[in-house]
Amino acid sequence: MAHELQQNERREEIEKRAKFCINDNMDLLIEILKRLDDRSLGVAACVCRLWCALTRNDSLWEHLCFRHLSPQPGGVRTMVAALGGYRRLYMVCVKPVMTRLRLGKVRWGSGSEVERRVWSRHEVELSLSLFCVDYYESVLLGGGRLGGETSPPSSLMILCKAVNV
Amino acid sequence: MWSCEAEDAGVDELFAVLGYKVKSSDMAEVAQKIEQLEEVMGSVQQDGLSQLASETVHYNPSDLSSWLESMISGLNPMPEFDSSSDPFLESSTITTIDNGSSVNSRAQMVADSDFGSDLISIPGKAIYPRTQPPAPPPQPQPQPQQQQQPPAKKPKTLSYLGNSVANLQSERVFARPVESTRSVVLVDSQENGIRLVHTLMACAEAVQQENFKLAEALVKNVGFLAVSQAGAMRKVATYFAEALARRIYRLYPTNPQDPAFTDLLQMHFYETCPYLKFAHFTANQAILEAFAGKNRVHVIDFSMKQGMQWPALLQALALRPGGPPSFRLTGIGPPSNDNTDHLQEVGWKLAKFAETINVEFEYRGFVATSLADLNAAMFDIREGETVAVNSIFELHQLLARPGAIEKVLQVVRELKPEILTVVEQEANHNGNVFLERFTESLHYYSTLFDSLESCGAGNCDALVSDQDKVMSEVYLGRQICNVVACEGVDRIERHETLTQWRVRFGSAGFGPVHLGSNAYKQASMLLALFAGGDGYRVEENNGCLMLGWHTRTLIATSAWKLS
Repeated sequence: MAHELQQNERREEIEKRAKFCINDNMDLLIEILKRLDDRSLGVAACVCRLWCALTRNDSLWEHLCFRHLSPQPGGVRTMVAALGGYRRLYMVCVKPVMTRLRLGKVRWGSGSEVERRVWSRHEVELSLSLFCVDYYESVLLGGGRLGGETSPPSSLMILCKAVNV
Repeated sequence: MWSCEAEDAGVDELFAVLGYKVKSSDMAEVAQKIEQLEEVMGSVQQDGLSQLASETVHYNPSDLSSWLESMISGLNPMPEFDSSSDPFLESSTITTIDNGSSVNSRAQMVADSDFGSDLISIPGKAIYPRTQPPAPPPQPQPQPQQQQQPPAKKPKTLSYLGNSVANLQSERVFARPVESTRSVVLVDSQENGIRLVHTLMACAEAVQQENFKLAEALVKNVGFLAVSQAGAMRKVATYFAEALARRIYRLYPTNPQDPAFTDLLQMHFYETCPYLKFAHFTANQAILEAFAGKNRVHVIDFSMKQGMQWPALLQALALRPGGPPSFRLTGIGPPSNDNTDHLQEVGWKLAKFAETINVEFEYRGFVATSLADLNAAMFDIREGETVAVNSIFELHQLLARPGAIEKVLQVVRELKPEILTVVEQEANHNGNVFLERFTESLHYYSTLFDSLESCGAGNCDALVSDQDKVMSEVYLGRQICNVVACEGVDRIERHETLTQWRVRFGSAGFGPVHLGSNAYKQASMLLALFAGGDGYRVEENNGCLMLGWHTRTLIATSAWKLS
């Protein structure tokens, strides 16, 4: 008899637990996603439409860009938003700059320690400057290229791929 | 079969593979002779240019000129470089270089043979009337590209060999002259590279001495030798050869050149390598620091072009503590060939950008053929405005006209700027002696092209497209052409060193402003991002920042204020 009661209780517990769905708790989900790196965010975006929409949220990417830099320089958010958002900033400038500068200083063995390093003010400034140049070039100069080239040139092409790995 | 074996018995196998029949028993002697030969070849190269220039026999086959033309036209698609109008295409004169020494008193060339295809028919004796040509030690073929040109290469290299060892007592080492159809490269490309440089120098010297016949023959040689090189050396040599040819034949490139095309070339140069970016970032840092705490700022840009420098400055000003100042920009540019108001377009784009990042922005553009045409009143400096004047690779052009630079600096003084930022090439290409200019620019542009090779090279997936690289090379090639071929007011690429500029600015009443450590750090970081970043060096020189490739500094950023 006691055994049966215990089993029932356990079954109820399991049922209760099964009703908990992470998708119902968006705040929790976002908190978790905030701690991921860029590749994991990409993977997460493939899970379902909700997750896809969430990972497109710029605040996640802002956190990714600047989580190790505090306090964040004021006014950056509006500027970055105007120039295409943090996700674009990350993909175009932050990630290549971080990878490129790290490869120069750190041995291969460190692997996933890449993000632990803290941004310095200079690196932030440089990334933002390059981001602005990129915006100016692609958005404003891209339309009226002299000579009509097929591919829009980008002064950030140098950042596209890792070098001498 | 037995008899064959008996014949070949003793023939060294390795040499036999190459076609030389040398008995193993002779190997010691052969080795000794090879050593001798190498020794004398080595010592000859230190003997200086004059020996080569005076004793070289030059061939002038008609085919070579079309070959040179195709190389040049392949690299210079512009109309004014239309090679069909170059007269040296039609020349097919036989040039004999006679010299004082009796060594080659009977030197004759085989000019009527077709060098392009069938050099095998040239008997060795015709090329070497007196000296026994020691065939060089057999060497493995260094590069596949040379294999395609072996017939053309052989007489050249042999002729050089023959002449370089003419004074020496080396004897025939091998019995195999040019009759063989083997495609073995006889001299490796490094030696050809040295010969190439020597020939270029000899040609420049000939031009200096106004010995145009000799110069003409030498410049054709250069084209020939340049093909044997790979990469940067080849390109540099080709550009210099073309510039020399233009000088010799008085076929000067038209000035002024289409500014739209120049802008396009400069854009590609901007993307390919870090020099312009370095210039912009360091100048911006100096201007940013000069504008600290100021609320109304006015930048006057002598080198407006596409306005690539200003987005970064606007961004830095927008993010500074206390918010952005109200920003005014005046751009100076050359008149455009078509009817578009290029300056206004650039200004409009910058205005849009400034609006995006919420910076109050005002723009004005001035068209001027030369900076010396400007006067201070045009700029309408307002009360309470802080002025900065910026010039990237523009001031050296003023040195072509006497008095122009002094006038411009006087105008700048009248503007009462808080800071004047200047970026210039770090080289002396403005000497009075042509040969010195030539030598200086040869070293400078070789280094520059070397650094270009590293951008985009190294990885199989190209970071920088080939088109960008080629356009950058054309951009530099034009400068080379101007330094070497032009004179007087047409020669606008009158680069001077930082030391020379310091004297100029000092005497015009300007004092130096030290670029801070922020600029240095930013510049170093910027360079670390570039492929081949190891080769670039940022140096600080009495408050000025210099960017160089390995040991050679190439551009220098300096800042000045009224003293």
